[in-house]
Amino acid sequence: MTTDNLRSAVLAELARIAPEVDTEALEPATPLRDQVDLDSMDWLNFIIALHTRLKVDIPEADYARLVTLNDVIGYLGGKLKA
Amino acid sequence: MAPAAAKSRAAEMRKTIAAAMARAKREIPHYYLAETIPLAAASDWLTAFNAGRPVTERVLMAALLLKAVAVAARRFPEISGFYRDGAYAPAVHVGVAISLRGGGLIAPAIHDTAERDLPDLMRALSDLVQRARAGSLRSSELSDPTLTVTNLGEQGSDEVFGVIYPPQVALVGFGRIGEQVIADHGAIRVVPAVRVSLSADHRVSDGHRGAQFLTRLRALLQDPETLAKAGT
Repeated sequence: MTTDNLRSAVLAELARIAPEVDTEALEPATPLRDQVDLDSMDWLNFIIALHTRLKVDIPEADYARLVTLNDVIGYLGGKLKA
Repeated sequence: MAPAAAKSRAAEMRKTIAAAMARAKREIPHYYLAETIPLAAASDWLTAFNAGRPVTERVLMAALLLKAVAVAARRFPEISGFYRDGAYAPAVHVGVAISLRGGGLIAPAIHDTAERDLPDLMRALSDLVQRARAGSLRSSELSDPTLTVTNLGEQGSDEVFGVIYPPQVALVGFGRIGEQVIADHGAIRVVPAVRVSLSADHRVSDGHRGAQFLTRLRALLQDPETLAKAGT
């Protein structure tokens, strides 16, 4: 999967959880949760959605590495290559 | 939903909330208590518990907090019930305050919260949040809560003192969970902790019992493994 495809997949799942967000306007290097109102349940649903769509396992211990959109895409890209 | 319909739904909801909260402040003689609850044991236990579970079955701290409130409430009938027409009737169905995207708040019940084991309670909570946001709650879920829990979560404030939702007689508020400095047997430790508050109704209870309730809540959360079991 290309980085662009991966980005589209991540943004599509984010938009399902937070439909009010203009995903095109998100700043990729700014913490995601400063830009999108995601509570712990929303976050868990986001992780579940990514797991289901991409068949990637995301341990809870890795949440701390998933701060910005770039982090999420980089992390998932690394997992998919592995 | 079309923007106009969403806007009018939000306006309706604001009116409903305003009416209930104005009535609460008019009729209910609130008192307020707060307590810091250390969550080191609970958060270590939950991390280990979740590490062995698939992502779809992970449990949030919010579920453990709900369970603790429900279990504690069983011993304090004057904290959970309905006050109507000058008479009080105790019962335990914990309501969960859920904020809706686009504004507003709804607090439906999870039936039998105290009797469920933790994964079951987590599934019920997840399902309830999803249905609350989709607007497909059952009428019993809306009418049954006898004690509301509000949890401001990670993006919230240190503490919250809620307004009781009539005819209920209390509300438990959890602030943001974070590291706090705690004095412990003459030593200073930094541990994950939460500020919990109780808003309760002087027509039914007093601060002494309210404080005992919070003490019980604190004690339950120090033994998460037992708390997580069904019918604790």
